[in-house]
Amino acid sequence: MSSMLSFIIRRLLILPLLLIAVTILIFSMLSMLTPYERVSLYVKDIPKRQGAMEGLIKKYGLDDPVPVQYWRWMAGTKNPDTGEIEGGVLRGNLGWSKTGKGTVWEVIGRRLPATAELALWTAIPMIGIGIYLGVVSAVNHNKLLDQILRVFSIVGWSIPVFVFGLIVLLFFYAKLGWFPPGRLSDWASQVVQSSQFIRYTNMNSIDALLNGRLDIFRDAVRHLVLPVITLAYLDWAYLLRVTRSSMLDTLNQDYMTTARAKGLSENKVIRRHALPNALIPVVTVGALMLIGLLNGVVITETIFNIPGMGSFLAESAISLDVISVLGITMFNCLILLVGNLIVDILYGVIDPRIRLR
Amino acid sequence: MTEILSVQGLETQFRTREGIVHAVNGVSFNLDEGETLGIVGESGCGKSVSVMSMLRLIPSPPGQVVAGKALYQGKDLLKMTDDEIRHVRGAQISMVFQDPMTFFNPVLTIGKQVSEPLEIHNGMNKKMAYERAAKVLEMVGIPKAKERLEDYPHQFSGGMRQRVMIAMALITNPQLLIADEPTTALDVTIQAQIVELVQRLREELGMAIIWITHDLGIIAGLAKRVAVMYGGCIVEEAEVKELYANPMHPYTRGLLGSLPRMDESDHRRLVSIDGMPPILMEKPKSCPFLSRCTYAVDHCKTENPALKSLSPNHKVACWVDPNTGREF
Repeated sequence: MSSMLSFIIRRLLILPLLLIAVTILIFSMLSMLTPYERVSLYVKDIPKRQGAMEGLIKKYGLDDPVPVQYWRWMAGTKNPDTGEIEGGVLRGNLGWSKTGKGTVWEVIGRRLPATAELALWTAIPMIGIGIYLGVVSAVNHNKLLDQILRVFSIVGWSIPVFVFGLIVLLFFYAKLGWFPPGRLSDWASQVVQSSQFIRYTNMNSIDALLNGRLDIFRDAVRHLVLPVITLAYLDWAYLLRVTRSSMLDTLNQDYMTTARAKGLSENKVIRRHALPNALIPVVTVGALMLIGLLNGVVITETIFNIPGMGSFLAESAISLDVISVLGITMFNCLILLVGNLIVDILYGVIDPRIRLR
Repeated sequence: MTEILSVQGLETQFRTREGIVHAVNGVSFNLDEGETLGIVGESGCGKSVSVMSMLRLIPSPPGQVVAGKALYQGKDLLKMTDDEIRHVRGAQISMVFQDPMTFFNPVLTIGKQVSEPLEIHNGMNKKMAYERAAKVLEMVGIPKAKERLEDYPHQFSGGMRQRVMIAMALITNPQLLIADEPTTALDVTIQAQIVELVQRLREELGMAIIWITHDLGIIAGLAKRVAVMYGGCIVEEAEVKELYANPMHPYTRGLLGSLPRMDESDHRRLVSIDGMPPILMEKPKSCPFLSRCTYAVDHCKTENPALKSLSPNHKVACWVDPNTGREF
């Protein structure tokens, strides 16, 4: 296991380097916007206030060379009045988000629970059903059930999320009125924001349970149904395909014959001998999907009006809020890198052949 | 000696896109308690498929046993319920496979895999089964067996893995061990060790063995009787010494002729058998060896010869006596 430990340490050491590389990449890409484009967000009534933009550009040095600006963003700037250093990504300060009306960290803190809640509720059916159906499909290889599941998954895999999301919204909300968009009904948000309601996690459904408010829980879940269905269907369609092909591959392995020749029942052959092997690639794919969900799902959150990380990114990008986009991207990269590290460690845990390398 | 296995007229087919492949076409043989039978033949002649069909381990579809009986201690394995045959597999009839790498589950420990048959068939708890597994592993010559129970297959060498596989097969003290080319994937020196190991274990445990191989050299020191297979049929069956001294089927002659011999002083060229083994897309109406046979007569083209006894311990499926070149 010591090799595992050194592997983790090595990966942790690389992590900051990767993050710095990411900062350079994103910063240079966003520097392709002109200083005017980058400053326009902060000036009201541009036609009436001639010179305001030029003033801001000069004040913040937005026409300086890109490396100088980059360094200022990374290390922060000295306030000429107080002499204190302000901002600076290296000091953990991602800056002020005009879109979110708060520091980027504050806005992330406000927006993340909605995304995390969505990810959580999506992950459970996605991983459970996706893997289960993948196994069922593989075990019934080329039989009717397999064919039906394959059609079902290829449809899910091919429909764009904005089409599927809009269709379910149209049908279940506009036509039937069952599942509304947003996070909560008005009456419920009033309760949630009142002082009697303790916000443990800021995830409505979970806080409702912790506060013992089943009516709020029901309302929160009602709002989650459509985005969860949208995300879960598209993702489990993919997971089903991965599980199915991995399982089919495993079922063709020689050691399946060994297991049968020992006198194991077919059920045990699959559960004990096939599944642990077949799930190795599935764990990777599943975990990466989960990371993707945590990073915010721009389109789904926008369609269903969920104030999460994805819609935050969309709003920031539309209003050319460079600081917010930089901050969100950095945060997403951090989640991705840490998530990847966890996947790699998990991989070593479930596959003994990798563990000793 | 009592007979423990009697296979009669076994026929197995595979349904493929190109048509039905007749892999086994009426194979019959018997086996006594504690006896060792060698089944010899080149790749694709149906030796593995025959024994796998017997234990119903052929993947179905596409495989299907279409005719025949496989009487194990008087009961037909092919007519048993799934539950009944499961209690035979691994408990009374065990198998050792060719490639000790791919036939082990890579993510389960050796201890788990070796002790598993005890757990299913004898209802043993994990601790007892592991203790017994360590003993059996020691018996097959794994050093520090107890410590190695927690290791994974990839941590063993090829020869050691094959020893583990043998331990796994013998842990339940089966009546019959089927070894499907167990030495093919191993170095020659390791092959000899494995053969010696099996000989020793046979003396200690007294199980019957079916040893499938394409190596006539290995079988000579191991089996009492040998069946030679070609094109899904047994073409010759005889006691080992008789077969080597007096091969009667042209194919057996070809096989023996292609072996190098230590006792020959002149360095003769090794003879190969011209042509390719048949693709069994239809049930052979002629002799399957016809196209490669140097002794063929007209009769061979019209009828596939059945296995007939020449003497009590020698059977052959051929129309022609190769010693005279005339029909029997």
